[in-house]
Amino acid sequence: MKATKLLVIIGTLLVLGLIIYFPGRKLAREHVNYETAVQNHPLSCISCHYYTQRTGFISKLINEDYLSPFNLTVSKDGRRLFVIAQDANELLVVDADKKNVLHKIKVGIHPHSVILSENGKIAYVSNQWSDNVSVIDLASSKVVDSLKTGNGPAGLALSADGNFLYAVNAFGSNLSVINLKTKEEINRFSTGNNPTGIALSKVSKELYVTSRRQNPVAYGEPLVSDFTVVNDSTQKLKKYISMNNAYLMENVAFTPSGDLALTALTRPKNLVPAIQVERGWMMNDGIGIIEQKPNGKVVQLLIDEPNSYYSSLFDVVISPNGKKAFLSSSGVDYISVVNLDSIRNIIANTSPQMLKRLANNLGTSSRFVTKRIKTGAVPKGLALSPNGKLLYVAEMLDDKIGVINTETLEKIYTIDLGGPKRITIARKGRRLFNNAAHTFQNQYACYTCHPDNHEDGLEYNFASMGRNIVNVISLREIADTPPYKWSGKNQSVYKQDGMRFSKFLTRTESFNYEDLDALVAYIKTGIKLPPNLMYNKDGKLTESQLRGKEIFNRSVDNLGKVIPKKSRCVTCHPSPYYTNLKLEDVGTLSKTDDSILFDTPNLNNIYASAPYLHDGRAKTLEEIWTVYGGDDNHGRVNDLSKIELNDLVNYLKSLRGSNYEKSSLKTQHASF
Amino acid sequence: MKKTDIIKQTKLTAMIIVVFIIGTLSYNLSAQNKKPNQNKMPIYGHWKNFTSNDGLPSNKTYCVRIDGKRVLVGTNKGLAVYENGKWKTYTIKDGLAHNGVLAIDVSKLTGDVWLGTMGGLTRWSAGKFENFTQLNSGMPNNLIYAVICDAKDVWVATGGGAGKYDTYTKQWEIFTQQNAPMHEPWTYGVCEGDGKIFIAAWGGGVVEYTKKTKKFRDYTDPDGKMEIDLFPDDGLVHDITTGTSWANGYLWVATYFGLSRYDGVHWKGYFDHDSGLTSNFINYVRAVGSIAYLCTDKGLSTTDGKNWVNYTTNNSSKNGKATIIVGTKKTELAMIPSISHNFVLGVDVSNHTIWLATSRGVSRGELLK
Repeated sequence: MKATKLLVIIGTLLVLGLIIYFPGRKLAREHVNYETAVQNHPLSCISCHYYTQRTGFISKLINEDYLSPFNLTVSKDGRRLFVIAQDANELLVVDADKKNVLHKIKVGIHPHSVILSENGKIAYVSNQWSDNVSVIDLASSKVVDSLKTGNGPAGLALSADGNFLYAVNAFGSNLSVINLKTKEEINRFSTGNNPTGIALSKVSKELYVTSRRQNPVAYGEPLVSDFTVVNDSTQKLKKYISMNNAYLMENVAFTPSGDLALTALTRPKNLVPAIQVERGWMMNDGIGIIEQKPNGKVVQLLIDEPNSYYSSLFDVVISPNGKKAFLSSSGVDYISVVNLDSIRNIIANTSPQMLKRLANNLGTSSRFVTKRIKTGAVPKGLALSPNGKLLYVAEMLDDKIGVINTETLEKIYTIDLGGPKRITIARKGRRLFNNAAHTFQNQYACYTCHPDNHEDGLEYNFASMGRNIVNVISLREIADTPPYKWSGKNQSVYKQDGMRFSKFLTRTESFNYEDLDALVAYIKTGIKLPPNLMYNKDGKLTESQLRGKEIFNRSVDNLGKVIPKKSRCVTCHPSPYYTNLKLEDVGTLSKTDDSILFDTPNLNNIYASAPYLHDGRAKTLEEIWTVYGGDDNHGRVNDLSKIELNDLVNYLKSLRGSNYEKSSLKTQHASF
Repeated sequence: MKKTDIIKQTKLTAMIIVVFIIGTLSYNLSAQNKKPNQNKMPIYGHWKNFTSNDGLPSNKTYCVRIDGKRVLVGTNKGLAVYENGKWKTYTIKDGLAHNGVLAIDVSKLTGDVWLGTMGGLTRWSAGKFENFTQLNSGMPNNLIYAVICDAKDVWVATGGGAGKYDTYTKQWEIFTQQNAPMHEPWTYGVCEGDGKIFIAAWGGGVVEYTKKTKKFRDYTDPDGKMEIDLFPDDGLVHDITTGTSWANGYLWVATYFGLSRYDGVHWKGYFDHDSGLTSNFINYVRAVGSIAYLCTDKGLSTTDGKNWVNYTTNNSSKNGKATIIVGTKKTELAMIPSISHNFVLGVDVSNHTIWLATSRGVSRGELLK
């Protein structure tokens, strides 16, 4: 009897299980197919629902607190390395001989660069997300002071007399001059757009400041990025040097004799159809060379080879004898060694016309690149030992320092900084994000068009024949703001980065599902939004911003008329992401666009995302309405006075990440 | 009265006397600081005139600014720069917002040149031009009559209100009748002094903005809309103001109906009929040290508030004169050649030279020993 009952129960459960299993599996299959846009992705719940947890216990379980060494410098005696651990917000003091970390010094948020005082007793660390520089007494390994800077300090340099500190403000696009005696900022110069690198020529006493984003140019014009030259003696701007068709100039270095300045750069062909990637012509990597003499030439030479590109150039350092330059390509994990005498010969013996052509010539690198040295994952900052015999490489996503013998040009060992040994799924995704191996000929990585997980400020022609030119969208807060693409055709990050990505952008085999899972896990969990310290430091809005907020939320215009719901700012741009996640018509479709509606973009930190609108036609937020808002299709604005429009723009500039608005919200866990 | 009370009272009296003496001394010292310069008025001569024949893009010049070893001149056909004895012109082809350059100032901090044009504001920084317009930025209006650099801020007086640009935050603040005591948004001049900004507001007199408190107050003509100055020295001489300039504790205000000076307490008016002012129609004022330089339709007047030196030309020839007025004594000094034209729109001075922007080119004078 009992056995019969048991059999009935088991049978019932089995039937119920089967009833649930098949429709359930079918539903799950449909769900996965929808999210991934493919039919055969493994039915694994953890792909999307486990590795994409951003807060709480599971997040802690699946992630690690990595160090992510970003930049570094070496003490004068060569015995100590000072390493920026960007994700740990620390400066690591490393014993170069014993190869171990001696001290971990907490600095500000998202540190960028480190330099030492002339006597080697003080270290200065720029804290990009704190808007200050930490002053560290190296004898006690303690932060003893904090120097206020502009917005987003990155590269640092000391004046020749050591009395002044120059801090490059990457977000503010200017250069702070700080008097180290009074500890006050005494001046701030405008620079090129989004500067990061700075170097002082010991010969000319001139400072060169790089820029990563292009200058604002008329819509459809080729890009130009600027070097800013400052006279250290007079502390005055001297000139700007234009780098045509180039951007992402991360760092700059001078030869010891002062005859050349070198910068790493990228040459995008953003205005020609992206299909050109198949012809090896979409995104090139090179060096910019500026001769340091009257009427000196400004030359660009590619370090790429015809079938192998060296994507995402970051740092450049020059040997003490001025014969070799070393460049880190963080998109392919290589150091390129450049013979500078060959460069000098090319410049001296080539006509200006031919030099101009060489800027696009993939064959030239064979004349001056003498060696490619493999490194760990994502090499960033470089530093030479004082005698020039050792090159230290910050292997960012390995948490290690690679050490290269500059005579044999071989990597001889690594220094483990003590980061987690486990490589998490998101960490793997971050490596993929930074690596160009998934693009035809390694031309570019996700990071190239999305530096700092943001956007590069360019418009691209992703289709052909000039149709559908699109402004690159930031990846910050991307996980919470589907759908994707300006047309909103992609309902998930998975689809955005899957088959379509390889078909239209990379022109190579698509990511396998394991890699795609990892990439999506990183993009959905590992990207943080910087604070908006320029326009909304503490959540207290200015009077103008408050007035702008009222305009943003208003339902009645200045004439007393009720504004139709679809014409109110807040309707399409509700908090916390200031997007309703829907498609809208804002009246900016151009004749060369397919007939589409536009995905409503996220507005947090919108101040840092110029140019604006789907094709980047608006150079500033104001232009969205003063030039392209004449018909009130993009919100009701034509009743506003200029003061009111300024208030609205000031409010928009104050918008910041939802994590900064809600102090009670659990902060995103860990680094990736 | 108790002895202690007497002592207390004596102490109090003594304190009052001391405070009174200190106060009186301070007032006198302050007054002395504002007294007209006892030194002689500077007299300029050896005029050298530059016209389109010498390399200027146009004879219609609007403004002039001395910038170290070079001189910047705003014309109706671009910016002219005089350096090493040669003129070089920059126009919209080089990146200017508009060829009509009405105002120029140079940032002492950065060396950037700020150009107010008829089509926007241009920053000329180390050879690079960057334009701010009412369309691409929060700037109030493209028609810019005056521009000044005040530390990190740049102020403009425009046809659509005054504007302040913070070069650090890259944000504009606009001041019009909507948020400031102005009669209408039209503003002609702006200057800085004593922690304040003084805006010459067309029809609205002078609008004073205290930087520390961010509060406004205005100064208007007590005689209202009357075209005559009914009660002398009771305030601004007229509400239609064309320029302001502050130096040595004095605010000088130019109007088309005379000149006003304000010492922080008292106003004083100057007219062509009761002072040495050469004309009531004043296009522009610039005060340097104790001297105010007044660009009028009938030549250049210079004054320390008491004495005058006026520079005029005989428009039919190259000759002219300097008229020196000390008290009631008037003397004339022949100037051959003289200033280029009597319609003067701009002036700037350095240690030993003076430059004028006129309707017939620019004039350079040297300080006579």
